Amino acid sequence: MGCSISFFSTAVVVIVVHPSNDAALDAKDVQRLFLGKEKKFSNGKEAIPINQIPSSTVRSAFDADALGRSSTQIAAYWSKLVFTGKGIPPKELDDDSAVLAVVADNPNAIGYIDSASASDAVKVISLN
Amino acid sequence: MKKLLSIAILTAGAFSANAEISFSGFASINAGKVLSGTGVPQFGLEPTFLADYPLVSAYTEEFSFKPETLIGLQAYADLSNGLSATAQIVARGTNDFDATFEWAYVSYEINDNWTVQAGKKRLPLFYYSDFFDVGYAYPWMRAPADNYTWQIFNYNGINAQYTDNWGDWSITGEIYGGREDSEDNKLLSTFFFSEPTKEIWKDIVGGVFLATYDWLELRATHMRYTNERFRSGEQVLWDGSPERDGKFYGLAANVDMGDWFVLSERNRLTLQETDLDSLMLTLGVRLDAVTLFTSYSELEEDILDGENHNTTSVGGRWDFHPSAAFKLQWDKVKDKSFDLAVAGDSKSVTVGIDLIF
Repeated sequence: MGCSISFFSTAVVVIVVHPSNDAALDAKDVQRLFLGKEKKFSNGKEAIPINQIPSSTVRSAFDADALGRSSTQIAAYWSKLVFTGKGIPPKELDDDSAVLAVVADNPNAIGYIDSASASDAVKVISLN
Repeated sequence: MKKLLSIAILTAGAFSANAEISFSGFASINAGKVLSGTGVPQFGLEPTFLADYPLVSAYTEEFSFKPETLIGLQAYADLSNGLSATAQIVARGTNDFDATFEWAYVSYEINDNWTVQAGKKRLPLFYYSDFFDVGYAYPWMRAPADNYTWQIFNYNGINAQYTDNWGDWSITGEIYGGREDSEDNKLLSTFFFSEPTKEIWKDIVGGVFLATYDWLELRATHMRYTNERFRSGEQVLWDGSPERDGKFYGLAANVDMGDWFVLSERNRLTLQETDLDSLMLTLGVRLDAVTLFTSYSELEEDILDGENHNTTSVGGRWDFHPSAAFKLQWDKVKDKSFDLAVAGDSKSVTVGIDLIF
């Protein structure tokens, strides 16, 4: 996995939430929210994680950097939960602009984008 | 398929006002053959590799796609406010692709930690029981057969599931209860007794505890039930009694370091006074999109010349697509019992593609 991380790290992934979201978010919180192990932010409000489609480079970078697994392993993880009634994977959007649009509009949403796409309409949190 | 369609429409019609229905599915296109085998001459069985017991996926020396090829379709209706309904229809080559409802349940999220479900579900005896059909979710062609020899694998009943995070550990717990009446049970009717056999597991009560810490996963389970059986309509008596009790105990530990992993499981079924012990150990390495593994599994019944077989496997998985994997596996089975031989010794090769959609 070492080489895949350095390859994809050309895309710097940042977490984005609604500007009004005052929850504290560390790497562990992000991991749990995107793996369905936690459903709420640290401030007790419901969290809606927004994923990107598997073919996007920012998705590969996020899976490797934030979740510590390849996208294939993450897909296998969700297939276990989905077909056993134990979890529903996050919705997937096509690209950074679609994620930005949803997150800017929804106080409960949390997504990730390439740092180069960041805008003032969302609150940006660095993964590191 | 017609039945499936009309039910889907019914469901859609009934809840269309405020339900979001989503479909997902999985498929395995598998094929293989026995390279060499003894069969079981005393029972007139040709060289056979029983790739799984409950479904009787049996390969012979003739190359075949039928034993393990399957397709599953899941419909999930979110009725909002924590209520949902799920149905899973599976068509299996080993059952001539008759599509049947294998899962059908309603789920209600009481709060962030507790969910209750009622309906028909898989009996969660083994770590892999729940997603036994979803080949994409595990490295091998199938969960090692010696570990999964029980004839009942679904139940009708209720369960309560618990999830939480305790410090750095993610915790999942489940308690369940129910029963299963298996008319013409496939494993018993076609493989063991060669006559129509009705298998009943009643008063099923069980629990599962699963703790996950980043790279480590630990699972413990216990289940008890009361067994009744009818062969050709005649009630089977065990020591003069029409009922016998079974108790199942299971432990599983998995280590996943990314580049390599270890999967292990140890189980015991105590049926009346007799213990049936099974174990499984798999070692694997991941090299980018390729996973290579070796595996050993066995089942031993604690009586003279009891059921006793083991499987040694090597194989590989290649994730050639984000939602599809190619697999190849070689299995060597040793069947040590005479009176309770299952399928004899065999060496087999199987190959397949697992998909999720």
